[in-house]
Amino acid sequence: MTPAALLHDALLVGAILFALGLVGILSRRNLIVMFLSAELMLQGISVSLVAWSRHHGDWGGHVLVIFVLTVAACEAALALVFVLQAFARTGRLDAAAWQALREGNLPRTVDRGLPAVDTLPPTFPRLTPAGVEPAADEDELLEREHV
Amino acid sequence: MTELLAGRTPGMTLFAAVVCAAASLWLLLPRGQGGRTERVSRWLGGLLGVAALVGLASTGRRLGGLGEESVFLVVSIVAVVSGAATVVCRSPVYAAIWFALALAGVAGVLLVLGAQFLGVATIVVYAGAILVMFLFVLMLAQPAGLAPYDRVSNEPLLSAVTGAVLLGLLTLAIGRMSAGPPICCRMPSKAAALAGTEPTTSPASAASDALAADHVARLGAELFGRHLLAVEAAGLLLLVALVGSIAIVSRGAADAGTAGGRAAT
Amino acid sequence: MPIDSPLTLLVLVPLLPLVAALVGVVFGRRLGGWAHLPAVAGIGASAAISLMLLAGTAERVKSASNDVDSATSVSVEGVTTLWQWATVDHPDLPAARPPAAVGSFSIPVALRLDPLTATMLSIITCVGLLVAIYSAGYMHGDPGYPRFFVLVSMFVFSMTMLVAASNFLLVYVFWEAVGACSYLLIGFWYTKPEAARAAKKAFLVNRVGDFGLAVATFLLWMTYGTLNFHDVTAADGTLLPGILGPARLHDAAGYVGGAVGAAICLLLLLAACGKSAQLPLHVWLPDAMEGPTPASALIHAATMVTAGVYLVARCAPIFVACPDALAAVSIVGATTALVAALIGTVQNDLKRVLAYSTISQLGYMFASLGTGTLLGFSAAIFHLVTHAFFKALLFLGAGSVMHSMGGVIDMRRFGGLRRIMPVTAATFLVGSLALAGVAPFAGFFSKDEILAALHGKGWPHAHAEHHEAGPAHHAAVGPAVLPATGFSAAGTAADFVSDTRVDAAAADSAAVVLDRPATWRVLFWMSLVTAGLTAFYTFRAVFMTFTGPTRVPDEAGHHAHESPLPMTGPLVVLAVASAVSGWWLFTTHALADFLAATPSFAAPAVAATAVPHAFHVDLAVQGTLAAAIGIVVAAFGHLGRRSDGPQLERFLGPLRTLFAEKFYFDPIYSGLIVKPLQALAYLAALIDRLVVDGLVDALARLPAGLGAIVRRLQSGLLQRYALAGALGTLLIVLALTWRMRS
Repeated sequence: MTPAALLHDALLVGAILFALGLVGILSRRNLIVMFLSAELMLQGISVSLVAWSRHHGDWGGHVLVIFVLTVAACEAALALVFVLQAFARTGRLDAAAWQALREGNLPRTVDRGLPAVDTLPPTFPRLTPAGVEPAADEDELLEREHV
Repeated sequence: MTELLAGRTPGMTLFAAVVCAAASLWLLLPRGQGGRTERVSRWLGGLLGVAALVGLASTGRRLGGLGEESVFLVVSIVAVVSGAATVVCRSPVYAAIWFALALAGVAGVLLVLGAQFLGVATIVVYAGAILVMFLFVLMLAQPAGLAPYDRVSNEPLLSAVTGAVLLGLLTLAIGRMSAGPPICCRMPSKAAALAGTEPTTSPASAASDALAADHVARLGAELFGRHLLAVEAAGLLLLVALVGSIAIVSRGAADAGTAGGRAAT
Repeated sequence: MPIDSPLTLLVLVPLLPLVAALVGVVFGRRLGGWAHLPAVAGIGASAAISLMLLAGTAERVKSASNDVDSATSVSVEGVTTLWQWATVDHPDLPAARPPAAVGSFSIPVALRLDPLTATMLSIITCVGLLVAIYSAGYMHGDPGYPRFFVLVSMFVFSMTMLVAASNFLLVYVFWEAVGACSYLLIGFWYTKPEAARAAKKAFLVNRVGDFGLAVATFLLWMTYGTLNFHDVTAADGTLLPGILGPARLHDAAGYVGGAVGAAICLLLLLAACGKSAQLPLHVWLPDAMEGPTPASALIHAATMVTAGVYLVARCAPIFVACPDALAAVSIVGATTALVAALIGTVQNDLKRVLAYSTISQLGYMFASLGTGTLLGFSAAIFHLVTHAFFKALLFLGAGSVMHSMGGVIDMRRFGGLRRIMPVTAATFLVGSLALAGVAPFAGFFSKDEILAALHGKGWPHAHAEHHEAGPAHHAAVGPAVLPATGFSAAGTAADFVSDTRVDAAAADSAAVVLDRPATWRVLFWMSLVTAGLTAFYTFRAVFMTFTGPTRVPDEAGHHAHESPLPMTGPLVVLAVASAVSGWWLFTTHALADFLAATPSFAAPAVAATAVPHAFHVDLAVQGTLAAAIGIVVAAFGHLGRRSDGPQLERFLGPLRTLFAEKFYFDPIYSGLIVKPLQALAYLAALIDRLVVDGLVDALARLPAGLGAIVRRLQSGLLQRYALAGALGTLLIVLALTWRMRS
């Protein structure tokens, strides 16, 4: 395998990951998914860095990726704290919930009427009970209703 | 197969790949529809995505041996497909799972590139620590079922087109550069720079250096030798982030009690 | 001839009222009802010093005239330079006319003391003191009580500086300062719209005259290279002659005539017309009666309005060099006197009658000044002095009536007040007799001198014969202290003009236009008619106010009473002065001889016109006859029960409307000046609003419009911002790729 080809293909993979992450950041409304997309972009960058490092035989790319990991860990910690705070205030993980930053006389952006979700209860496999059915704890059922 | 698809006009192939990528992302992104429409667009988007991937892959170089090529192909496909699924998946929990898979793919690519330590570290740090943290947060904050904001996207078409065009441009640039790397991308070795002569060490020999048996030891020496100060700074950064998150959580808990829901406009 | 020690006292005269004003500003509120104390004390001390200076100057004049050869005229002058206000050295300064060699523009703050200044200072401070005492009673309880006394003190300071300044620029400064004080006092009750409007009108009309003074000052500087009145000895010992200094006065070619001289004189006349309310700038004075009556008495009757008379008298040598300008002064004065008297005959507002009377009497003074003879100048100042007394008296009397009548001043609404306020009635009667020119009272003598001066110009040969024939027709009352060089006013003036280096032919032709005996005869008859009219309207006012059945307007309530002592005291003092001052000053010639020692009047061109002091029996008879006719007609119309009837006005017919409408001066000015200016201002405002503002607004709307478009992007959705950022990055990457396409 030629080093140039490896570099090229690795860079391509990095670019694809970066572009996907960008699309996610720009379009997804869930704060958590936005952060996942950001991490995806970081992964793309890391692949590119390592590819260049390999190509040049220099350790700089590796070192940089290590720092990227470090910073990503810090960023994730702080970002998640902020997400939790935001959720505590709005009750939602919606990036569009923070619209108060808009110009005063602009109307609030609202989602168009969404079609109703299929409200059919999830179908679980019916197994023939073997042995004695344990007594279900009411509280636990409440907690785990959608699992 | 890639040569066949590349045809005689790689530019056209790339353009078609970009269009396919944009259309696929647009179709796959949540746009608030449901039922049949959603299912159709999911299938269509998946097909277009595969087409885009093939198109992009056709612009790539042929790797050397079959073994390495197939390994690289597999792990990169895993990374890319899982990354796409991370982005387009409605449920954040599934998105996180997909992201973990994407991390595995990326780790594989890193391993193919010879970065054993980084490949493992990515898995350990990301999948082991960061992703678990995300899942914890999701458990704390995610409501039952799909939230409305998970079923719609912000400007899906424009975002998809932006991402696809950026991807196309990057691919173009990468292709040109690897065809004839510009002078800025050549790295002269230190000895050669001192001697004022052309670099004698080829990239391949340098790569063999990176692939040496004592890879991790060399990386550690590099890290704690040349970049010691940066390591200390990174440690400080971690400490600050730790202290900061704790401080914000403890303060925010008091604030949320008083100002709960005030900013929920 | 410097007067050494009095010059320090001279500085105190303006300084004390200034200190009083400053004290009033700082402590006025705290003093409250005692706020008049600083003003009374300051102006009182100033008055005492002025009288001392007057006596000292008189002493100096007497000793000087004894010392020198009796064939030359005496001039007494003292100048003290406090500091140099501005000194500018510049090569572009105008070349001074020889013998003046002035290389720099220098404005010393110099005060002067000469007989004219001493007289004016005494009048200003004495009347000011009496008015301040009177105001303590009159203004009692007014919310602006401290402010009033600050303004009065400020006015006395400005006015004394005006008459003591020895520099045209300083004169201009304090000319404006007294105008400002006048404005503030007219608008004293500024919440009253009429008062505010009247103050504005007075200020604006005065600006026309001030413009004249400013341009005249420029011309004087361009012509003479200095603005000083007095001579200055430079550091290197050369003498820099001032405009009115002895060096220039005794220089036969010292003053320019012709076009430049006439322009200077006419501009000075314009300034004097503005300040002294002469035609055509008289319109502000009747409206100025909106101010407090004591202020009217002090400023708009006794002192400030005589500033114009003072200015012309001070500039006598300049005027004498231009006989046509002098004739213009007389024509303006006599016409004003007649027109104002005619308007005064039909006014029903007591203060307005007095205001028109003031205009008329000032017209007399100008007519007298315009004769250009020593007799004319001294008669004008004589009349100024007596007029200050009796007009202040009349105004204060009117104020007393107004005070008692609860602010009502319309003569038709009250009558027979002599029973309620005997002191006011008696003193008012004395003042009226003085104004009307009845024999032993002050106005009689001063008016007689003015008529004599005009008569002397109208019938020069008769006068010359009289004097040569000896005192057969004229009772020479005293010995002539100053030498008489024969009566040849016109000839002297003509000679003087031909001496100057300007176009003598033009000056002569100008002199032919106006300065002819026929002109002066007309002016004389106009003045005589005015004398009759003066007597008529004065006694019409007296009869309407004080005789007939006693009637009191409702506004007076139940407390219609004689005014308190602080008000009646000054009335009595002024009444005594009005009664005896004329007789005393005339028979002893104290004032005339004293004034003759003023440098401006001691100039050869003026002094040459001196005539022996004489009592003109024929003129006295004519004047008395005119006054008697006026009084009789007034009695016929308004005495006793007829006090409020329009009997006489019936006979006037359409003329009455003409008089009552004040010869339509206000509508004419409104139509010719105010309305077009308003239209222009409206047009300018329109252009400003539509074009200028429109342009600016359009420019302002441009970013606002752009912002309105851009701000729609500010949706508050973070991801849209991120999308915009990504698109921007994309553009940059596109551009880079485009450059790298090679």
